[in-house]
Amino acid sequence: MRSAEDTQDALRKRFPGIDARPVDPAPSVTVPPDALRGDLAFLRDELAFDFLVFVTALDRPADGVVEVVYRLFSHESRTSVVVRVRLPRDRALVPTVSDIFRTAEWHERETAEMFGVQFAGHPDPRRLLLPDNLDGYPLRKDFTHPNLIRLPEVP
Amino acid sequence: MDEISPTARGTVPALTGVTRLPAAQATSDEFLLNIGPQHPATHGVLRVVVTMDGEVVKDIVPHIGYVHRGLEKLFENRTYEQIIPFTDRTDYLSAIANNFAYVMGVERLLGLEVPKKVEYMRVLMAELNRISSHLLWLAAYGLDMGAFTPFLYAFRDREEIAAMIEEASGGRLTTNYFRVGGFVHDLPKGFFPRLRKFVARFGKAVNELDTLLVENAIFVARTRGVGSIGRERAVSYGMTGPCLRASNAAFDVRRDMPYSIYSSLDFEIPVGRNGDTWDRSWVRIEEMRQSLAILRQAMDGFPEGDHRARAPRNIEPPAGEVYSAVEGPRGEIGFYIVSDGTRKPFRVKMRKPSFSNFSALPEILRGLKIADLVAVMGSLDLVVPEIDR
Repeated sequence: MRSAEDTQDALRKRFPGIDARPVDPAPSVTVPPDALRGDLAFLRDELAFDFLVFVTALDRPADGVVEVVYRLFSHESRTSVVVRVRLPRDRALVPTVSDIFRTAEWHERETAEMFGVQFAGHPDPRRLLLPDNLDGYPLRKDFTHPNLIRLPEVP
Repeated sequence: MDEISPTARGTVPALTGVTRLPAAQATSDEFLLNIGPQHPATHGVLRVVVTMDGEVVKDIVPHIGYVHRGLEKLFENRTYEQIIPFTDRTDYLSAIANNFAYVMGVERLLGLEVPKKVEYMRVLMAELNRISSHLLWLAAYGLDMGAFTPFLYAFRDREEIAAMIEEASGGRLTTNYFRVGGFVHDLPKGFFPRLRKFVARFGKAVNELDTLLVENAIFVARTRGVGSIGRERAVSYGMTGPCLRASNAAFDVRRDMPYSIYSSLDFEIPVGRNGDTWDRSWVRIEEMRQSLAILRQAMDGFPEGDHRARAPRNIEPPAGEVYSAVEGPRGEIGFYIVSDGTRKPFRVKMRKPSFSNFSALPEILRGLKIADLVAVMGSLDLVVPEIDR
């Protein structure tokens, strides 16, 4: 049984720059896209992070990036870790991890259609929730649609 | 196992009836069977396309998104308080668990401590909600399998819970009861006598339901050994809640990521052995008994105090992010909230248990008979608005 402290030490050893974001106590690390698969496989196999809680993305137009967020949990040490990949908004391409965690398949399909992130090597890159005739990526901050009307600001 | 037949993925057949595959693509007697979007066995608007060889299921492709409402986009244009009623509507059977996860996230962002009494009220409400959701599952699942009587028994008790929740919150399903820092109003007079009466009676009712449905010989014959999924596959598919615990994995957010007062309460986590359809049913029955134990403890230790903390009128959490999760009736309900310091969240991601549980359906169902499809789908306890959000 691996303890939470051991896991934290091992995380710090592998990712020297690992930090906790304000409020969320889970350590968070940003990795380059080509290291992602290796790092997630390492976290699953070596540190027993066997549960991918979710995959999502954050659109940050001010920085020109889309940030893909993977949150992992270990049933053994009962700790969480967050892995992030920062991608240029106009060419958001990241390898799929759906063969490492099967649940990633649906989460990646949702992230792809909502944020315009491409997951290279995805086994089933169809849309998941959105209709086929919708243009654009709804969860990007600059998404517009004739039916999308902003509410007036509340004073 | 990971081989996906290109025919089923590539072509989407007509919405009704049976489609024969083009001769060039079909091997032997394969055909496609479409179920949904409107079908009693789906308990909501979803659709599965099954590749069949005789009556054996070769592959199954779920199509979802029929009730996608774009809630996550909507949240980015609402203030933190305005989001609470929307969280009810993602899962109409566990509105309270959803409220709980969301307001707890906002409170962590604000660094707000809530009074002891609020924690107890939240646990009381969440456990009542869990029992009511499991009762509805049991009723509907019995109907799926052709047993009508358990429905009447389950709804008799569910009605009592709905009435208690209505008395407290004003709503039966979408309660909108939680607020950041506490509750919209206190528990009504006469709530505790009523709850005590229910708790005293319900233990017997669970035994009744257990023998009526889950221990029933016909039910056991249809579910035992059907649609099992191993621990590792279940975890890899991100399954949580009773569906995961049936597969011999003792994971419960209430114990493993403790929140509120759960770490001070004494309860067991029922775990199945085979991960089959019967185990998933048994775990839910057992969970109702554990919820009763929690209700008793929470009633006994119920403190005096305010039903609401002094929360700021305009909620403007400092920049930061939080992931707050609770154990809902179907599994881990999580809200990933990113704040940029304004009155509206920068991003809210809802992690919903049915979404991940449902994604394992093809894995569970491949190789079974078509008659098992309804039994397996029902045992996952799907709530479609929660899958689509």
